[in-house]
Amino acid sequence: MRDRRPAIMIAVLWVLAAPCSSAGEQAAPMFSLSGFGTLGVVHSSEQRADFGSSIFVPKGAGHTRQWSPEVDSRLGAQVIGNFTSRFSATVQVIAEQRHDGKYLPHAEWANIKYQVTPEFSVRFGRTALASFLVSDFRKVAYANPWVRPPGEVYRLVPVFSSDGLDANYKSQLGDFAHTLQGSYGQTDATYPNGARAKGRNQWVISDTVEYGPGTLRVAYQEAHVSIDTLHALFNTFRQFGVQGIALADRYDTNDKKVTFIGVGGMYDPGDWFVMAEWGNVNFRSVIGERTAWYVGGGYRIRTLTPYLTYARTKADSNTSDPGLTLVGLPPQLAGPAAGLNAALNGILGALPVQQAIATGGRWDFMKNVALKLQYDRIDLGAGSAGVLGNVQPGFQPGGTVHLLSATIDFVW
Amino acid sequence: MSFRHWVGIGVVGLSLGLMGNSAMAEVVAVVSSRSTVMTLSRSQVADLFLGRARRFPDGIVALPIDQGEGSAARDEFYLRFAAKSPAQLKAHWSKIIFTGRGQPPLAISNTVELKRRIAANPAAIGYLDRTQLDASVREIR
Repeated sequence: MRDRRPAIMIAVLWVLAAPCSSAGEQAAPMFSLSGFGTLGVVHSSEQRADFGSSIFVPKGAGHTRQWSPEVDSRLGAQVIGNFTSRFSATVQVIAEQRHDGKYLPHAEWANIKYQVTPEFSVRFGRTALASFLVSDFRKVAYANPWVRPPGEVYRLVPVFSSDGLDANYKSQLGDFAHTLQGSYGQTDATYPNGARAKGRNQWVISDTVEYGPGTLRVAYQEAHVSIDTLHALFNTFRQFGVQGIALADRYDTNDKKVTFIGVGGMYDPGDWFVMAEWGNVNFRSVIGERTAWYVGGGYRIRTLTPYLTYARTKADSNTSDPGLTLVGLPPQLAGPAAGLNAALNGILGALPVQQAIATGGRWDFMKNVALKLQYDRIDLGAGSAGVLGNVQPGFQPGGTVHLLSATIDFVW
Repeated sequence: MSFRHWVGIGVVGLSLGLMGNSAMAEVVAVVSSRSTVMTLSRSQVADLFLGRARRFPDGIVALPIDQGEGSAARDEFYLRFAAKSPAQLKAHWSKIIFTGRGQPPLAISNTVELKRRIAANPAAIGYLDRTQLDASVREIR
């Protein structure tokens, strides 16, 4: 029922905003309405697995459809209400593929902001979970050079929003603009198979320094994460004596402390840009520890921006485990124990290992609209399906996958 | 300096501009003649208009005022002060607007009204074509 309160807020704001048109920028309006979206298709050369937008969607390009419009396409609308000079509210609604494959709009953010001083603001409600350099606006493809942020890094933390409190402090030191941000809250997410993930006591602290065309950002994040179906699996392990309990303690996903550290930088003097990010996430459970990074850049020739990105993600924790010792178990227990071991190794082996090159071009062919074409070559790590999901029988891990994407991104 | 004189400089500047030399200033950052702000670097001006900074160096909260979207002065201002094309500027504000972190400066398309608003408020900062300057506003260098 996490969506009910935002839904009420949206309804209220939409009714209040109705008399305003797409508010001209001539005066600061009480309400402003704006939006963004992407229409895109992706082709994948791998037909026994899907390339999807995240681990929380069931359908993607490859197996479900050779050419899929469901990976990048989305529509977003946002209403900002400026009630006083200090007090404002933002509701952003996005329609995109959900965990159940449907496109019901959901509240991406819905928060109330109080500007305590020109430098210091606090927000209450649902805000962006700012783990990465572009995580706040990763869904606003128009604001980004590429079709989608490198999944190697951006999938390290698969949730995008946090329900709670958020504080932002800006300061200026000579030509250095400095932004310190902290948030505390919680996030729920549902997997396509119905499993539910909960992040509690979730906090992020980030520091961004901007100097002319340069930006440097460091973020640290912690949360206590529980995933119900995996917890049930490890409760079964606990039936198998000391060894089973030890395995369960190590791999269980019940209220495990997850830590993330991310560093990112960008240099954009106008005619060209380079950017790079590095991140490490440790789930302290069967989901393991991963490190990923990317470097990329582009060059702007009038309305054309060709770009190139190289990205890697690797597993820092074990991707297999001998599991329960079957020798000596009575036959009626050896069978279930072998099943548990297979389940454990199935999850451990799903840790994505891959490297990828993405190259493409952005064409700002008309006001507020950009066309992008992108080619990705993904080399899957030995024995890994990488970030592919919906893996089908007969899939060969460790191969090479080619993606071709075309999108039209817009803002209004 | 007569108006005609400035127009002359403007024409020379424009032709130099067309030849690819952007060193000739056409659009300049201005404040009210009553403002206490004397100098700002280009990046300091850009930071105020891009939402990166809120205050002038002396601590007064700045009120940046844009020209209307699509105006030549606006496009030139952002190109010269922030090295951003209209599309890059739109992308910049998309990042901020769609995360609820801020909103772009108030924009006024009528330059006479714009100049009047800047002149009337010592905290305001804007940009004008050099030919439009008069005693009510002062160029920031």
